Amino acid sequence: MPPLLEVDDLHMHFFTRDGIVKAVDGVSFSLEPRETLGVVGESGSGKSVTALSIMRLIPEPPGKVVKGDIRFRGDSILAMGEKEQRKLRGNRIAMIFQDPMTSLNPVYRIGKQIAEPLRIHKNMSRKDSWDAAVELLKQVGIPQAADRARSYPHEFSGGMRQRAMIAIALACGPDVLIADEPTTALDVTIQAQILELIQEIQARTESAIIMITHDLGVVADVADHVLVMYAGRAVEFGTADDVFYRPLHPYTWGLLESLPRHDVDEKGQLCPIKGQPPSLINLPQGCAFRPRCAYSQGVCTMERSGLVEITPGHFSACQFSGDSGFVEKACGFLSRER
Amino acid sequence: MAPDFFEDPRRRDIGQAAEEQTFGGSEALAETVVAGRGRTLRTDAWRRLRKNRLALAGLVWICFMIILAASADLWVPHFFGAPTAIDTSKVAQQSLLSPSADHPFGTDKLGRDILSRTIYGARVSLIVGVVAVAIMVVIGLILGAVAAYYGGWWDSIVMRTADVFFAFPYILFSIVLIALLGFGLQTVFIAIGVIGWPSIARVFRSSILSVKNNEYVDAARAMGASTPRILFRHIMPNAVAPIIVYGTMSIGGAILTEAALSFLGVGVQPPAPTWGNMLSEARSSLFTAPWLMLYPGLAILTTVLAFVLLGDGLRDALDVKLKE
Amino acid sequence: MSTLLKVESLKKYFHVGQGLVTARFSKSVRAVDDISFSVEEGETLGLVGESGCGKSTTGRCINRLLEPTAGSIHFGEIDVRKLRAGKLKHYRRDVQFIFQDPYASLNPRMTFGEIVAEPLVIHRFGTKKDREERAKEMLKTVGLSPEHIHRYPHEFSGGQRQRVGIARALMLRPKMIICDEPVSALDVSIQAQIINLLEDLQEQFRLTYVFIAHDLAVVRHICDRVAVMYLGKIVELGGWKEVYNAPCHPYTQSLLSAVPVPDPEKQHERARIILRGDVPSPIDPPSGCRFHTRCPIAQFPICSDVEPPLDIVAGGQRAACHFAKPFPIPEDKM
Repeated sequence: MPPLLEVDDLHMHFFTRDGIVKAVDGVSFSLEPRETLGVVGESGSGKSVTALSIMRLIPEPPGKVVKGDIRFRGDSILAMGEKEQRKLRGNRIAMIFQDPMTSLNPVYRIGKQIAEPLRIHKNMSRKDSWDAAVELLKQVGIPQAADRARSYPHEFSGGMRQRAMIAIALACGPDVLIADEPTTALDVTIQAQILELIQEIQARTESAIIMITHDLGVVADVADHVLVMYAGRAVEFGTADDVFYRPLHPYTWGLLESLPRHDVDEKGQLCPIKGQPPSLINLPQGCAFRPRCAYSQGVCTMERSGLVEITPGHFSACQFSGDSGFVEKACGFLSRER
Repeated sequence: MAPDFFEDPRRRDIGQAAEEQTFGGSEALAETVVAGRGRTLRTDAWRRLRKNRLALAGLVWICFMIILAASADLWVPHFFGAPTAIDTSKVAQQSLLSPSADHPFGTDKLGRDILSRTIYGARVSLIVGVVAVAIMVVIGLILGAVAAYYGGWWDSIVMRTADVFFAFPYILFSIVLIALLGFGLQTVFIAIGVIGWPSIARVFRSSILSVKNNEYVDAARAMGASTPRILFRHIMPNAVAPIIVYGTMSIGGAILTEAALSFLGVGVQPPAPTWGNMLSEARSSLFTAPWLMLYPGLAILTTVLAFVLLGDGLRDALDVKLKE
Repeated sequence: MSTLLKVESLKKYFHVGQGLVTARFSKSVRAVDDISFSVEEGETLGLVGESGCGKSTTGRCINRLLEPTAGSIHFGEIDVRKLRAGKLKHYRRDVQFIFQDPYASLNPRMTFGEIVAEPLVIHRFGTKKDREERAKEMLKTVGLSPEHIHRYPHEFSGGQRQRVGIARALMLRPKMIICDEPVSALDVSIQAQIINLLEDLQEQFRLTYVFIAHDLAVVRHICDRVAVMYLGKIVELGGWKEVYNAPCHPYTQSLLSAVPVPDPEKQHERARIILRGDVPSPIDPPSGCRFHTRCPIAQFPICSDVEPPLDIVAGGQRAACHFAKPFPIPEDKM
């Protein structure tokens, strides 16, 4: 049986006046029901573009999938017509956006906005969809849901708006829920509430979740699998335990070492990754991480390694990841601290 | 292909490694910057403007008109006769001539050369456009700055006055002004300038208010910078771009207003040629001699369009934040 | 070590509704409401809290970007609130500011050289050539190339711009720098670069920092002492070790437990307190203890009636809670 969602060597490029921006340049992963995939990377790593590509929300032009495919239950989303895509979007695959302040329409009542996908996809009547919306608001933990459904977005706080966004995404009982930085705009205590809610919903609905974030803490909290992205490319993919405790790619090491921690006793020295992320128009030859990598060799400039399965289910895009001696030596720091 | 690896290079010497990463990272930093050296903001803006074909066409057309108008005395009378000169060679036949080799744009009722009059008309139009806009920009900048910077009562007074101006029918208003001040070029400047300032003031005020909220203004204050320095070094340079754009477009508007006033007979008085009074004179022979209306009309259309296109191009060109 | 900055009973209220007619009836936002703390020479004091807790307002009051409503601020012997024009300018030489947004805090029409040299121009130091030399040197100190003085901010990334913001703050050799969320707009790998840079500079220039941030891990890493703020009040104040390892105030405890740690096993095993509801509005803050509406251990009526003072709990650690007690998070659960 084909996986629920499969992204296969996706290349999404933007053709602009100033050159080709390779926003996504080789990303693969697959997702099974009930799984949570954490996608981590810094700004410009292509994580959001990947999500928007799955939703087919990238305007074409300037965007264009130059290579690769996205399959939902084995059917290519890219080959679908507009009508079929619409059936999928908001129905089988739903998305939660980063900014709860701008992603709700200020002129409609919250209840109406939650009811909208139900009316579109399930042909529900005005009355039924409204009742369903109130029920959904209850499910996402909004008190006095019947009254609050009549409110407008500006009457909601940031955390409540994000709950409302989640209710909209959940309305049709999607198989895949894509959450693009759902807690970045929120305060820590509210973030904890929302993360708890997302996990609770997953336990109840069995939908698969793609959690896009720059925060490794959030990933550690919710993800079963982790995809690490850098400069539009997937550099490491594996189970959360693999990626956090047995990372293979130097970029992942760099990320883990850059993080100040509040849960260990002493203050360790932070080891930042040197330099700046590359321009997506002008990517370095070979491995995109090479100019910032402490372990780069001549061969890294020549060729670029795609994701290679090193141990079962654990992929890395580094030339040297297969050499266990090297990996053990280089990331010995991890075992020291934990 | 086992790379014979050393100890972890990052751990080997923490002090040194940290040094490299925070202090000495400049080569790595320099490498990632793609832009060339020694470019100023002005050359950058010019480069962006040049990429915009329409704006460039507008600019070329404006330059062409300026050169024509400025050099008119040197050659126009020689080839086509002075704009007020009546071609008397065979008076009866010379009026309302259709375009010919002698008179490429034809002649009007009095036998005056249309080409010559159109070129001289450009003088009036361009001068009126530039001077009137200069007047409105000066008034608008001062009042807009006062409203934005002092706020409170000042803001209310200036902006409510501007609202009153907006509520006036502007043609009527300028006719009243002209009636008060008497006919003449200066009066036209003043009339157009005085009715035009409210939009400039409004644009400048909102532009200052948005710039004022930027952290670099706070940064300057935190350094101990004086109010004039903050105003002239930090706020103004970042707030004037919309004024340049809006001012450029307003020149087109001022030319139109002048044409309208002259058409109504309250602008620059005949026999001095302006596009507006040429159109006015052409009314009576619209069907018998359409070229009378065509050429000044085309001149107005193309020149106004040129200013608007240039203004539009400047908007993009002057935006520093537009990254390539 | 001596006390460099002493803030006492600082209050800052903002009036909402500035219309001519409504002004008389308008309410005020109590952004900072009666807080006191001091900063020792050479240390880093962290101000942490969620948005709207008043941490940035406090920073801006310290160097008088905002005028405090009440209270006193002393910098060494100087009474900061009494300073006028010339003396205020002089004071600002000693107390510099680093801003959050590296995109908005640099004037886009000035070159890096002009930006970094501007403090010297304002305070009339040296000739143009001297200033340029100093600017070049400072760019090098913060890890940029001296050749960058002729370049404009839009050509650079956030991390590089933030370095320029830091260079600008250092030009006058200040004694203290207020860092207002200096790394929160940056990516993780760049954030670590800037944190290390700030630490190195502190040593090199003997700086005192007031470090304002919402990221608890960053604050823990860089700060010697930490003040936790909630709705305009300091609820806990103490050395980083005490505040992080043995938080006494229930708000600090829940805040710490809410931050996920980048370690799946630990994260799944941690004891977590998830606060219910939202932060109340600072226009009409709750009576008594401001945290009582969300507090997991609140007891009534005392918590809703009596405002707890910021009392010493143990050693240098203070907490504003009627039931303040060290919260024993078992080592292995952390």
